[in-house]
Amino acid sequence: MNKNQKAKSLEKAYEKHSWGFIGIAVIMVLIFNVYPIINSLVLSTMSGKGVVMHFNGLGNIRRLFDDTVFQTALKNTFTFFIIQVPIMIFLALIIAAFLNESTLKFRSWFRTAIFLPCVTSLVAYSVLFKSMFSFDGIINTTLLNLHIIQQPIPWLLDPFWAKVTIILAITWRWTGYNMIFYLAALQNIDSSIYEAARIDGASKSKQFMKITIPMLKPVILFTTIMSTIGTLQLFDEVVNLTGGGPSDSTLTLSQYIYNLSFKFTPNFGYAATISYVIVFIVAILAWLQFKVGGERNA
Amino acid sequence: MKKFLVGILVFMMLFSLVGCNDKNDSESTMDVNENGKITIWAWDPNFNIAIMEEAKARFEKEYPNVEIEIVDYAKADLEQKLHTNLASGTTNGLPDIVLIEDYNAQMYLQSYPGSFADLTGQIDHKDFVDYKTELMTLDGKVYGVPFDSGVAGFYYRTDILEAAGYSASDLADITWDDFIKIAQDVKDKTGTAMLAFDPNDGGLMRIMMQSAGAWYFDEEGNPNLANNPALEDAVRVYKEIAGSNFIKPTSGWGEWVGAFNSGDTASVITGVWITGSVKAEASQSGLWAVAPVPRLNVANSKNASNLGGSSWYVLNSSKEKGTAIEFLKTTYAKDVDFYQNILVDRGAVGSYIPSQSGSAYVAEDPFFNGQKVYADFSKWMSEIPAINYGTYTYEADAAIFGQMGEVYSGGNIKDALKKAEDQLKSQIQ
Repeated sequence: MNKNQKAKSLEKAYEKHSWGFIGIAVIMVLIFNVYPIINSLVLSTMSGKGVVMHFNGLGNIRRLFDDTVFQTALKNTFTFFIIQVPIMIFLALIIAAFLNESTLKFRSWFRTAIFLPCVTSLVAYSVLFKSMFSFDGIINTTLLNLHIIQQPIPWLLDPFWAKVTIILAITWRWTGYNMIFYLAALQNIDSSIYEAARIDGASKSKQFMKITIPMLKPVILFTTIMSTIGTLQLFDEVVNLTGGGPSDSTLTLSQYIYNLSFKFTPNFGYAATISYVIVFIVAILAWLQFKVGGERNA
Repeated sequence: MKKFLVGILVFMMLFSLVGCNDKNDSESTMDVNENGKITIWAWDPNFNIAIMEEAKARFEKEYPNVEIEIVDYAKADLEQKLHTNLASGTTNGLPDIVLIEDYNAQMYLQSYPGSFADLTGQIDHKDFVDYKTELMTLDGKVYGVPFDSGVAGFYYRTDILEAAGYSASDLADITWDDFIKIAQDVKDKTGTAMLAFDPNDGGLMRIMMQSAGAWYFDEEGNPNLANNPALEDAVRVYKEIAGSNFIKPTSGWGEWVGAFNSGDTASVITGVWITGSVKAEASQSGLWAVAPVPRLNVANSKNASNLGGSSWYVLNSSKEKGTAIEFLKTTYAKDVDFYQNILVDRGAVGSYIPSQSGSAYVAEDPFFNGQKVYADFSKWMSEIPAINYGTYTYEADAAIFGQMGEVYSGGNIKDALKKAEDQLKSQIQ
């Protein structure tokens, strides 16, 4: 009885003090996270110029359906996401598998080299890519001198090639980042499994498809979700490489939000609506990916 | 637990109330405070900032105790900072004077009513060229002090054009179709490209349109893309230029300037503010000349136009409003000698009419082989058709260039402009 009471009062004291400890963090989260989220939801029901705003109800959502620029941006974002994410994930997997081979020489040098792009600033590498891919930049000059192409490719000026350039750039920047996750996960796969497979006569590629990929499933799921979110928020590269052009062919949702707030006559309400669209899409895609890939292993 | 959450909510509400309260508590006076401090935001250290430093030096001779701080931002950063400050309603972070691009003037005035000081009667706006005053007028009130003009010129390399058989008289008062013919000829004869051209940049299009007194919007500010003969002709010219082989395709400012500095292109058609960048390549001294811009194939298109330009605005929240206005008044709206100085040093053509009879405006420039370029520019400036830029220049620009890809690949111009107009209408609702 006595002991029980003591434990209870101790529990109470713990509760009191623990609230004191986490209270500051909670207040910060409320002010800087919860309040802006709620406020932007309110904002997304308004429309107008700058501070001259009026209540617009669901008008902003209705506007989305007529807004061809928004639809273009959405389409571009999905093009980047559907083409770039699988390429990058697959590349990262293959590179990770190679770098995990104990027979490979200069392993740590390769690892560093492939991871290095991730530490460069987004703006810095975009500016560098812009000069490399310019009309008489190093890429065109090299390809011309090697006689691979006859005419310089308008990398940044043609709608199709501009998309290709963006995809090349983000693949270069993020493949190493994903590779590190796979490398870490590969260390956890028991080598006896591969040994057994070898004894059974499975080829290297068969081992990769039937052992490596299934064993890495949770990590693949994680990186896919992270890459999805990252691609949907694509901004720096597009702004610095192509500025969203030519003819809006590389405009992303994030850049459209920026344009609506800072380049065009500011309509913060409509911009908030579109940022909620991104939240909504990310939530749906993450849920889908969990459904498809995560059930058994995650 | 419950109490605690309630406490937090109360705290948050108080917090947001406090936030609302300091919106209008700044006191501002119209008196000149001789010991005050004013802050100025601008962009471009080689142009606006340097000119402001000159104005500051002159003002400090009269008011030695006024402290003036000039802050240099990139243009996009400045606009972003201004938007967030004005939208948040807190005025502590705002400067006293800010530079705003002319195309955006109405956008700021209409989006943040009451944020900018009404300067009607404080400054004599009759001394400035019409089109500059018009773009900063809202509901009969004039809000800024006009600064530089973006009067446009057709800069060309005399050596290259002569090699192809063209002299100054062949290039004066031509149409864009003449220009295309000449450009093709120059390319065929000398192998040099005529223009550095970014098919997705709207600068040239705005030059073409304003030369005909037309704009993306009509006088009432309604979108005017689908039935706008000047714009239609401008798009046609764009398509012909983009599809030609006499251009060097560029993307972005650096490549564009690099193209004529390196001698890869024989001409550049843009605002007078480019003079400094053209002159930056000293080895080309004496090889350049300036002609009036080509005109469009529509009635009332003139060989005079404008691109860009900006003006100074005083914030209403400024604690030293009187001092700030006095500063602009004694320099930009009075000091003729100041304008001669910035013209010689920076190539800045002001829009203050009395300044244009000054000595610097009639001087010959050895870089332009003795041509009195500034006398020419001020003559063209007086011919620029005054138009109302409206609030949505960049929306219109984006709408049109969203369709240009289709036009370049053979699409119908009228259809493209109709689509652009529909898009623009849904953008600006």
